[in-house]
Amino acid sequence: MISKLVQTEFMKLRRKGIWFLTFLGPFGVVALQMVNYGLRKDWFISQGTYEWFYYVRNVSAFTPFALILGIVILTSFMASIESETKAWKQVMALPVTKWSVYIAKYTTLVALLMIACLLLVIFTLCFGLYLGFDGNVPYLDIIKYSYYPFIAALPVLGLQLWLATVSQNQGLPITLGVLGVILSYMAYFLPDWMIWKWPSLDNAWDEPLVNVGLGLAVGLGIYLIGMIDFIRRDVK
Amino acid sequence: MEYVVETKKLTKKFGIEYAVADLDLKIPKGEIYGFLGPNGAGKTTTIRLLLGLMRQNTGTIKIFNKDLNSTRLEILKKVGSLVENPSYYGHLTARENLETLRKIHGAPKQRIDDVLDIVRLSDVGNKKVKGFSLGMKQRLGIAASLLNNPELLILDEPTNGLDPSGIIEIRNLIKRLPSEYGMTVLISSHLLSEIDQIATSVGVISKGKMIFQDSIEEMRMLSQQKISLKLDDNEKAWRFLSSKGVKVEPENDCLALVEQSDQEIAHVIRMLVENNFSIYRVEEEKRSLEDTFLQMTMEEKAV
Ligand SMILES: Nc1ncnc2c1ncn2[C@@H]1O[C@H](COP(=O)(O)OP(=O)(O)O)[C@@H](O)[C@H]1O
Ligand SMILES: [Mg+2]
Repeated sequence: MISKLVQTEFMKLRRKGIWFLTFLGPFGVVALQMVNYGLRKDWFISQGTYEWFYYVRNVSAFTPFALILGIVILTSFMASIESETKAWKQVMALPVTKWSVYIAKYTTLVALLMIACLLLVIFTLCFGLYLGFDGNVPYLDIIKYSYYPFIAALPVLGLQLWLATVSQNQGLPITLGVLGVILSYMAYFLPDWMIWKWPSLDNAWDEPLVNVGLGLAVGLGIYLIGMIDFIRRDVK
Repeated sequence: MEYVVETKKLTKKFGIEYAVADLDLKIPKGEIYGFLGPNGAGKTTTIRLLLGLMRQNTGTIKIFNKDLNSTRLEILKKVGSLVENPSYYGHLTARENLETLRKIHGAPKQRIDDVLDIVRLSDVGNKKVKGFSLGMKQRLGIAASLLNNPELLILDEPTNGLDPSGIIEIRNLIKRLPSEYGMTVLISSHLLSEIDQIATSVGVISKGKMIFQDSIEEMRMLSQQKISLKLDDNEKAWRFLSSKGVKVEPENDCLALVEQSDQEIAHVIRMLVENNFSIYRVEEEKRSLEDTFLQMTMEEKAV
């Protein structure tokens, strides 16, 4: 049943420019480095930082920002498709459980974001190869720096989907979302407990896996809370 | 009698306001049940409760003789519905819209062509719904409700916003459903004329309460004629007739006879003539169904 629901979610996203967005996010992140390395290649060389190691980290500087922005846009898109014409009532009058509808939306979002992360891996790799750094290609590093921020952003995903699905209009979730985007941009200055900091993989222990672990645990928690609240409410 | 829908003391509150109160709804199998009530009476709320879109505060709902809360999915497989304004995805075509629902129902693909044909939207099946008129959207909503070939079809004010020819078309379509497809239909409306022309059973709801529920014939019986008399001295005649044990009620400038058999009327008139009353008028007034409905809902308001 859930796989059928996910299929219908993708059908509903047709002509909404969702695939373009999925492409644009990772492309934008790498494109910024194209500008960066295009302008400052000599400076990197003079600093001795013209290496894969620094390149991967430079790319990942903008990943949290793009990720959170993408989450806000996608979740609001997905909820507004239903709430614009009050289609929730039509979906919920089908022989499906409320939780399966919520899971299907979440699964669809996770799938889109994972595709975006895969594209990020590919773009990072391609431009890195083009820059022609010395040494071996750090495949694992590239994959980590593409997927870790995503896992660390799961709490934000859970929160935005929850708000977007239970709000009458998208004003509140978008406002909070934009605030989150700004916060994620200032991650460095945020205290460690703020979920918007986590995708930056930065923390007091200098251990990205802490953010990943927290992201998974808290992300799952918010996901469940959101789902239970969604089930509990009357359908709009 | 076999009931497809049966609620007992169904109650739903919003805050402290009762939208539906102690409602006993009974829909006999194979009937077109007209659910009639003024705006805000609680029709949509009742329908949302029947579909499990809302949870009732108290009371039970049985559909196909099964409890809704414990067997919702099984029941909904055999229910089609259109609640309030039609829901649709404007950026998708009519066909794509139906496809998102067909997939979940697991109905054959052919069914999309069938239902588009039933509501006469085959020509615009590949057009985006955004550009549809309200009537076309409404028909698409009905098509969607028919996708799973339901045994129970629930339509909430399906002719709202349609032009007269659209209304007639939908009406004819709904009339066919019980005989041709064995469906039981619940159709709500705030217009009596609508229900009068289509329903075989009626439930009248006002302020969340069921104030009448029976066959349409029974409702028509309530709209009986009444006899009114106009005399030279109504007051005196009223006292005279009352003393003779005849039930009459004074109205504006005449007297209304409650008993209406031919013999009774002849008897009353004979008495009046024999006692030298001058009878100016003896009139038969037919109350329209509309009056009956109005009066029913008015009485409720007065309480
Ligand atoms: N979601 C809601 N929240 C609060 N009040 C509601 C809600 N839905 C309906 N009502 C109220 O319940 C009453 C019945 O409404 P409704 O069922 O829509 O009537 P009808 O469909 O017969 O016009 C109205 O007074 C309406 O204002
Ligand atoms: Mg209504």
